Amino acid sequence: MMATLILQTCDEERVGARDICKFLADYGAQLMASGATCIRLDKNVRRIAAAYGMDAEMTVMPRHIHLTVTDKISGEVVTSISKVPDTGISFAQNTELSRLSWEIADHKMSYAEARKRYESISAGGGMSAWLLLLLVSLANASFCRLFGGDLYAMIVVGVATLAGYYMKMLLLSHKMDIRVVFMACAFVSSVVGATDMLFSIGTTPDVALGTSVLYLVPGIPFLNSFSDMLYRHYLCAFARFADALILTCSLSVGLCAGMWLMKASMF
Amino acid sequence: MILQILQDALFSAIAAIGFAAISRPPRRAFAYCAVIAAIGHSLRYLLMSPGVALHILPATLMASFAIGITAVLASSLSKIPAETYLFPSLLPMIPGIYAYKTFAAMAECMFSSGEESFMRGMYLFCYNGMTCVSILLCMVIGAVTPIFMLKRISFQATR
Repeated sequence: MMATLILQTCDEERVGARDICKFLADYGAQLMASGATCIRLDKNVRRIAAAYGMDAEMTVMPRHIHLTVTDKISGEVVTSISKVPDTGISFAQNTELSRLSWEIADHKMSYAEARKRYESISAGGGMSAWLLLLLVSLANASFCRLFGGDLYAMIVVGVATLAGYYMKMLLLSHKMDIRVVFMACAFVSSVVGATDMLFSIGTTPDVALGTSVLYLVPGIPFLNSFSDMLYRHYLCAFARFADALILTCSLSVGLCAGMWLMKASMF
Repeated sequence: MILQILQDALFSAIAAIGFAAISRPPRRAFAYCAVIAAIGHSLRYLLMSPGVALHILPATLMASFAIGITAVLASSLSKIPAETYLFPSLLPMIPGIYAYKTFAAMAECMFSSGEESFMRGMYLFCYNGMTCVSILLCMVIGAVTPIFMLKRISFQATR
């Protein structure tokens, strides 16, 4: 049976450190791209390596995974560096990749099968764009309500989010720079959000304007940054923090430009 | 009061589902997201209501901690990493108003004409900036520490 063969020392059947190393570097980079924290990355990679009878040590750099795998039996040492792809956060992928690590460890999955599962997970698509657009717009409108906005403010925020998020998807699909995208989307959303004030429709135009750009807040990098700090991966924590900060600044620039154009002020 | 809390809980649940969708979670995560966000938001609302009248910092810290704990518990039920649930539930607490006032005060400072208006801008800048940063810290500390405290549950969730 395949499962027992993996752990056997016979050389023909055993997967070498070279293959495992390349696999783990790809796996780690993909996991990092999907929004995993350093502690999760570390645990998952070590778990898989141990299942194949190897030791793994790695440096998690903001845009690269630098990994060394040591074969405990043959003593072979292999190092590999993988670039973290720009696929955007996907917790579905994060979940599936974490589950894969447990399946390899618990069920002694063969290398070939693990590789196949990995490829299919990293190719996986997400929710339909239109449903996502609808959900995000509804969510931001609900937010406006939470912050005390009236019905008109909610509608304005819903439309502002719809326009901004549609633009975000469109621009990102054209591979435009993420910082420019954030500026442009915040600008569009705040201009639409300020229409409440311009036409004095509702009683809470300031809430509409303030909420209209909230869907752009890069919260997951901030949270992951703090988690990495607790795990003492300061370099990675700092990188994620800087990333999130720059995006927040881009968002603020867009918002300020929109407010300046509409001669609007908040609070 | 109770109606108000329920209404707030409902809207925070809708908001959580939408904002969770941005980070592309597995489909079964949505229901948990909604419940955790509703719990977190209602808790902070309760803690800051006139009856309890807690300051915004401890209220935020406690609500975030509750979010973190429930997220870890939900992660083992749903077999999804706890991190998925944190951000959408925390988002309603983001101190956007303080952040905005900080920048407005900075502008006031820079374009001030005399010492008095500069000091006023400086005071507002420091006060709002400190409050904003402290709230953000309370949020992340409260939400992330449970994952580290309950490591065994958090990292075996996807098993």
